Amino acid sequence: MTCSEQIVELVECARRQSEPDRELRAHLSICANCGERWERERQLTAHFQALRMQAASLRTRDAQRESLMRDFARIHRRPSIPQWAWALGAAAALLVAVFIGHEAGKRSNRKVSPAAVRVRDEAVLYEASLDASALSSDDFIAVPYTPPLAPGEMVRVVHADLYPEALASMGVEVDPSWAGNLPADVVVGEDGLPRAVRITENGQ
Amino acid sequence: MQPSDEELYRLMRKGNQDAFAQLYERREPALYRFALHMSGSAAVAEEVSHEVFVQLMGPSTRFDETRGSLESFLYGIARNLIRMVRRLGPVAEPVDRPFHHDILGGLINDETTAALHRTLRELPERYRDVIILCDLEERSYEDVARLIGRPIGTVRSRLHRARALLSAKLKRLNAPSEVATR
Repeated sequence: MTCSEQIVELVECARRQSEPDRELRAHLSICANCGERWERERQLTAHFQALRMQAASLRTRDAQRESLMRDFARIHRRPSIPQWAWALGAAAALLVAVFIGHEAGKRSNRKVSPAAVRVRDEAVLYEASLDASALSSDDFIAVPYTPPLAPGEMVRVVHADLYPEALASMGVEVDPSWAGNLPADVVVGEDGLPRAVRITENGQ
Repeated sequence: MQPSDEELYRLMRKGNQDAFAQLYERREPALYRFALHMSGSAAVAEEVSHEVFVQLMGPSTRFDETRGSLESFLYGIARNLIRMVRRLGPVAEPVDRPFHHDILGGLINDETTAALHRTLRELPERYRDVIILCDLEERSYEDVARLIGRPIGTVRSRLHRARALLSAKLKRLNAPSEVATR
């Protein structure tokens, strides 16, 4: 082995703090340069050991760690789950209240109780410009207090058996002597509200 | 089984402070010592090790684990910060601690070791890196190769070259005393 090859080996030996093998020992005994290098490498390793020990006694202050953790918490701070839940709950409650109010309004306008109406069959009219007054002229009686039909709104005529009280609730004058169901055509808007009613067959 | 650095990093990015704390406990001491040996200043070492983790938690961090380990990424940040500090010149040590500019040199009783430490900092960065990681941090060649992103052969040859430079310096340092003892 050449000196440069021996030096590679001796450096590794010095780093590991191990004894050189027989071949290297033999070389070190006859090569002054490598022998000297071996000694210096061993000293270097010893000095590094001293440096390591000194460095091990040093560390960062705890305050640095705490400061980092505070910064981390600040960066990643989010509204807590209860706050989210409250906000979400309040929004949901508001939506439900609005929906219920809207539905209740619709029902109060409708006047006809579902129990009072028995649908027989229904026919859909594809008339684009119907309104309650036009319907009333064709034997239909306009149901008061309902929103007017929008121009072009599609309506359908529902053939139903109505109890007299259902007619009365629509604002139609009802003879108290009437008993039983009255066959009728009810004009219903796209919003499901009755707009006009016509008593059919032997009802009148 | 301990979670890997990369697993901790992913948790940390989701806001898990425990994961961040674990990463800090695991990696900060070695980063601090690395910065200490590289700069020779405890103030710089503290600042650098702090800044590494500030950058890690920041929104602009672009760690890509397909390109290397997190540890290697952290050393990369530390190395860049130390370069910046060195470009800026000497650093004022804080007054609340009994720092010396060369804290380690001040602690080392042995004159030769202290001088060697100063010499170490004068080595070109590529040599200083491997000496610190291989011989002061006692990392394997494989580890260091991974950390600095160079082949193992390069790490080994740089280390041997660095030791030869330091060894020559050691020879010069010992020469006057040897002359005196003759």
